[in-house]
Amino acid sequence: MNWSLLFDSYVNVFTSVQVIGMTLLGALGGILLGAVPGMTATMGVALLIPFSFGMDLISSIGLLLGIYCGGMYGGSISAILIHAPGTPSAAATLLDGYPMCQKGQAGRALSIAMFSSFCGGVLGALVMTFLSPLVAQMAMKFTSAEMLMLAFFGLSVIVSISGKSIAKGLIAAFFGLLLATVGQDPTYGAKRFIFGFRPLLSGFSFIPTLIGLFAIAEVIAGVERIISGEEKQQKSEEKITNVLPDLKTIGKIWPNIISGGLIGTFIGAIPGAGGDIAVFVSYGFNKSSSKHPELWGTGIPNGVAATESANNGCSGGAMIPLLSLGVPGDAVTAVLLGAFIMKGIQPGPMMYVNELPTVYRVFATLMLANLAMLLVGCAGVRFFAKIVSVEKKMLYPIILVVSLLGAFSINKSIFDVGVCVLFGVVGYLMNKFEFPLSPILLALILGPMCEQNFVRFVDVNNGNFWEILHRPIAVGFFVVSVATILFSIYNQRKINKREAANRKQ
Amino acid sequence: MKKTQTKAFANLICSLLLLIFEVWAYVETTGFRVHKRAFVQPATFPQIMICGMFIFTVILFLQSLLKVTRGMKPEDPDNELSPSINPFTHRGVAAAMFVVVLCVLYTYLFDKLGYVLDSACISIIIMYLIGKRDLKVIIPISIIVPLIMWFVFYKLLTVNIPMGVLQPLRELVDKL
Repeated sequence: MNWSLLFDSYVNVFTSVQVIGMTLLGALGGILLGAVPGMTATMGVALLIPFSFGMDLISSIGLLLGIYCGGMYGGSISAILIHAPGTPSAAATLLDGYPMCQKGQAGRALSIAMFSSFCGGVLGALVMTFLSPLVAQMAMKFTSAEMLMLAFFGLSVIVSISGKSIAKGLIAAFFGLLLATVGQDPTYGAKRFIFGFRPLLSGFSFIPTLIGLFAIAEVIAGVERIISGEEKQQKSEEKITNVLPDLKTIGKIWPNIISGGLIGTFIGAIPGAGGDIAVFVSYGFNKSSSKHPELWGTGIPNGVAATESANNGCSGGAMIPLLSLGVPGDAVTAVLLGAFIMKGIQPGPMMYVNELPTVYRVFATLMLANLAMLLVGCAGVRFFAKIVSVEKKMLYPIILVVSLLGAFSINKSIFDVGVCVLFGVVGYLMNKFEFPLSPILLALILGPMCEQNFVRFVDVNNGNFWEILHRPIAVGFFVVSVATILFSIYNQRKINKREAANRKQ
Repeated sequence: MKKTQTKAFANLICSLLLLIFEVWAYVETTGFRVHKRAFVQPATFPQIMICGMFIFTVILFLQSLLKVTRGMKPEDPDNELSPSINPFTHRGVAAAMFVVVLCVLYTYLFDKLGYVLDSACISIIIMYLIGKRDLKVIIPISIIVPLIMWFVFYKLLTVNIPMGVLQPLRELVDKL
C-alpha cells in the first residue's frame, strides 16, 4: 500500500470543487430516483452516462457513484414512508422501517436509515481500499457450487422472516421459487407455465412484482381500511430536532451497522450477488443473533440499521471485483465498467500496476459519495418525514399512479403494469390471511440464481450432485444455512410461546 | 364465535385451495419438453418447488384441521376472527375489489387514454370513493401529479410514456 499516494489522492478528490459538486449532484439525483418505486440506481447511472462524456474521469465517477450511493439510501425512503421499496435493495428495510413509521417515528427511521447507509458505505469503502485484492481473490473462488449454496444460505433466512407461522413463510417461499420458473427455462429454452401467452416468455419482471406485492397491495388494503373506518390518519407530531440519530440510539445499533456493513461488502464482492440478497442475509443474521428476536419486525431501529448498512456496504463490495479483476459485482458496476472503458481505462489486475493513482482516487471518490449522500440526506430528512402527514385519502391514489408508472418504465411494457396489478391482488390476499410477503421476494431474487447454478453444477459433474461435498466453501455455506434454519426455528418457537403466555395473562 | 369464522378455519380452506393449485401445477410440469441428454430436465426444478410447497401445505392443513376439530385454547392466535373477503357483507372489501377492477381497467386503457388522463381519472374516482369530496382539491391534484411524473420521466429520464389522446401535449413540449 502506497500511503503517501493514497493520502494525495484523498486530498486531490476532497479539494476538487468539480468532483465535490458532481458527487453532490449525483447523490441528490440518486436519492430522488431511488425514492420513486421502480426507478433503480442502475437506471440512474445508465441514464447519466452520456452526461459524463465531457467530464474528466474522477468527476464522472463521482457523479455516477453519487447516484449509486444515493439510490441505495433513496430506496428506503419510500419503503419506510409508504410501504413501497423504491429499489429491490430496500425491500428488507420495510420490515421494521414501516412499522416505525406507523408508530409515528418516520423521521427517526429515516435518520437511522441514512446514518446506517453512510456507515455501511464507509465500511465498504474502507474494505475496498485496504483489502480489495484479497477479497477479490476469495470471491473468484465462487463457482456454480458455491453460488448454489450461497443462494441456499440466502433462502435459509426465510425462516427468520416468516413471522408467526414458519409453514406459511415456507409455502410463500416455495411459491416465489415456483413463480421464478415461469417463462423460458434458462438452460434449454423450454417453455414453462406460459399457456401460449408470449409476454410470459421472459417470466415475471422482478420490479413490477415487487411494486405490486408491496405498494399496490398496501393501496388496496388502505382503501379497505378507510371505508371500514379502521384507518387512522397519521400526523407527523414527531419533532425532528436532530437529523442524525442520538448517541443512545447509535449505542444500540452499532453492532448491527458493523455486521450489516461487512455482510453487504462481502456479498457485494461476489459477482452476481448484490444488495437485494445482502439485506435479507444481514436481517436474518442480526435477528438470529439478537437477544430479543421477538421485537424484530415490530418497528425497531436495529432492523433498519442492519438492512441499510448492508445495502450501502454492497457499493464498496461491488467495486472490489470491478477494479481488481475487471468483473462487475452488480448491474450498477457493469454500467460503471462502461464508463471506465469510455475514458480509456480498462479495470482489472493491471489497473493496480498502471493506474494506481486512478484506483486510489476512485477509492476516495466512493468515500466522498457516501459523505455526499449523508449531507443531502440530512438536508432532506425533515422534508421526507412530512410525507406521512399528507392525508391518506389523497396519498393512496398518488402512490397508485406513481407505482404503476414505475412498473411501466422498467421495460416500457403495459404487460408489466398488469403484472403489478396482479401481484397487488396476490399481496393483498396474502396479507389478509397472514402469509408473509418477504419470502416471495427473496425467492424471486434467489430462484433463478439457485436453478441456474444447480443445473450448471449437475451438468458439469455428469449428474453427480454429491460432488458438492468436495467443495469446502459450499459445504461451509450449507452448514451455516442449516444452523441458521435450526436456530431461527428455535427462536420462532420461543417467540410464539412468549406471545402465547402474554396473551394468557 | 363459530368455528367456521376462526383463522384456523380460514387456514384450512387456504391450504385446501393451495393443494388443488399444487396438483394442477405438477400436472402442468409433466407437459414440459424433455431433453434426452440433460441431467436436469426443465421440469425438475419446478417439480422440486411444488413438492416443497406441498409438504408445508400439508403441514398447515393438518395443523388447521386439528385446531378446528379438537378445539383451540382461547389464547391461540388462530382462534381469532378471520378476516372477511365477502364484498356483500363488508363495505371495505367491496371498495377494495372496486379498486382492483379500476386497476384492471386502468391497465386496459393505459395505451388508449395515455398515462396522464388514465391516471387522473383513476385518482379522481378513488379519492371520491374514499371520502375526499372537495372537487376543487382532487381534480387539480389528480391532474398535476401525473403531469409532473410524465414530464420527469419523459424529459429528464427519457422514458417514453404513452400519452394517448393527449399526444399534442407531447408535441408541444417537444417544440418548446
